[in-house]
Amino acid sequence: MSDSILSVHNLIGGYGKMTILNGTTFSVPRAAITTVIGPNGAGKSTVFKAIFGLLKLREGKIVFKDRDVVGLSQRALLNAGICYVPQGRNIFAELSVRHNIELGGVAAGRGIDVASRIEAALDLFPALRRKSAQQASTLSGGEQKQLEIARSLLLDPQLVLIDEPSIGLSPLMVQQTFKILQNLRDRGVSILMIEQNARSALEISDHAIVLELGQTRLADKADRVLHDPRIGQLFLGGAMEETAA
Amino acid sequence: MASLLDLLVAGLATGAIYALVAVGFTLLWQTSQTINFAQGEFVMLPAFLMLAAMHAGAPFWLAIVIGILLSMILLGLAFKMLLVDPMLRHGVLPLAIATMALAIGMKEAVKQFFSAEASPFPSIVPTNDISVFGHVISLQSLGVFVVAILAVMGLTALLNRTSLGHQMQAAAQNPTVARIIGVPVERMILLTFLINAVLVALASLLITPIYLAKFSSGEVLGQAAFIAAIVGGFNQVRGAIAGGLLIGVLDNLSAAYVSTQYRAAVPLIFLIVIILFRPQGLLGRSEERTV
Repeated sequence: MSDSILSVHNLIGGYGKMTILNGTTFSVPRAAITTVIGPNGAGKSTVFKAIFGLLKLREGKIVFKDRDVVGLSQRALLNAGICYVPQGRNIFAELSVRHNIELGGVAAGRGIDVASRIEAALDLFPALRRKSAQQASTLSGGEQKQLEIARSLLLDPQLVLIDEPSIGLSPLMVQQTFKILQNLRDRGVSILMIEQNARSALEISDHAIVLELGQTRLADKADRVLHDPRIGQLFLGGAMEETAA
Repeated sequence: MASLLDLLVAGLATGAIYALVAVGFTLLWQTSQTINFAQGEFVMLPAFLMLAAMHAGAPFWLAIVIGILLSMILLGLAFKMLLVDPMLRHGVLPLAIATMALAIGMKEAVKQFFSAEASPFPSIVPTNDISVFGHVISLQSLGVFVVAILAVMGLTALLNRTSLGHQMQAAAQNPTVARIIGVPVERMILLTFLINAVLVALASLLITPIYLAKFSSGEVLGQAAFIAAIVGGFNQVRGAIAGGLLIGVLDNLSAAYVSTQYRAAVPLIFLIVIILFRPQGLLGRSEERTV
């Protein structure tokens, strides 16, 4: 199991009486980008919430670096090395860009030089540095996503859970965001991503997990999934014609 | 009739106190959706706590310390844990109604256990008048204004310039995201309740020497702070400050130039005009509710 940073076993849970996760089981390889795809309602976002302690599980085990992390608080998970960038806009619109990034470091333990990490994060995102004194609400959609990623890096995470990073972004911005994720991967960070934009996501991914009705249908190398005719038919739209041709 | 200058100074003094109370009011709204209709009574009570301490033999300064500490315990901690937390589960409206009940309970309790009569209360600022360019100005008004404004400025600096303040703002603006990045949201909410308790105790300390300690004195104050918060913008601290000062001045000027009997009506009419033409308040932003 040492080649995977996270593994979830037989997760069962949902909202109220509705069960979304029906025994979800998969593992996430180290220092790689793993993309979760699947139809709406497959439980993609729900499994992220479960991993990040935002959903009470009825059953199941979540092991991060050989340690069961079920029931840990968000702060404890952050300190263990997991961070979560949810879907949509998750910035504090009325605070400045710099103050938004600073907030990413509030869970940092003593002895961590948060100030230099803020500088490092701003180095990674020149657009954010230029606008660091502005109110976060003035950023474009793509920059806001960058801000969320920059903020999540302040605790030097080993695993980043990122849900639909490309939603609402221009194609150019999507490419930039994916580039950032690839850079992180190259620096040894493991990334677990959900993407509606499955084709372009799989192209930059190392691994893919296909979820359906709260269960893992398939887990394989990303390019194999990308070229799997069944998957193409189901999720990638238009892939059938391409493979037929 | 008092000079315009004197009226303005007196208006700014009461306005600064309204601002203190209104700021606390908006803080509770922003961090925990609490519309505290007992906020006026929250200002009434600390004066009685301080009077009780003085009756027990404490010197004035010690009575102030005891009053502020007891406020933090009763109006901060106990208010949050015994009333807000259990009621908020049922919704914003049930909680608001519960605070109305609390207001009545507090008034009656003070009337019953202390006195129905107004009691004099010592002033922490000098009460004599000074002459500036031939105008007589109340040193008390000036002192009250300065102390209240310093308190508001201190709070604003805490909110805008410290990490703690940013965490409080984050917890208010988006608690879910704040929690995800590790902000101790529950602790931040408790902190705003404690800050509100200190603000109302300070307001009590400043206004009671002027209007005397009376069980019913919170009615006018609560209303003024409520109007100030709405006029300025319910979701903005600086809106509450501006609204408080504006209502204080308006209140005093209308007492002098319109009629003392209608003084309370003028801010209310102003409130209606604001709600009609700028419902988000002078400095507020319109609220988009996200699910």
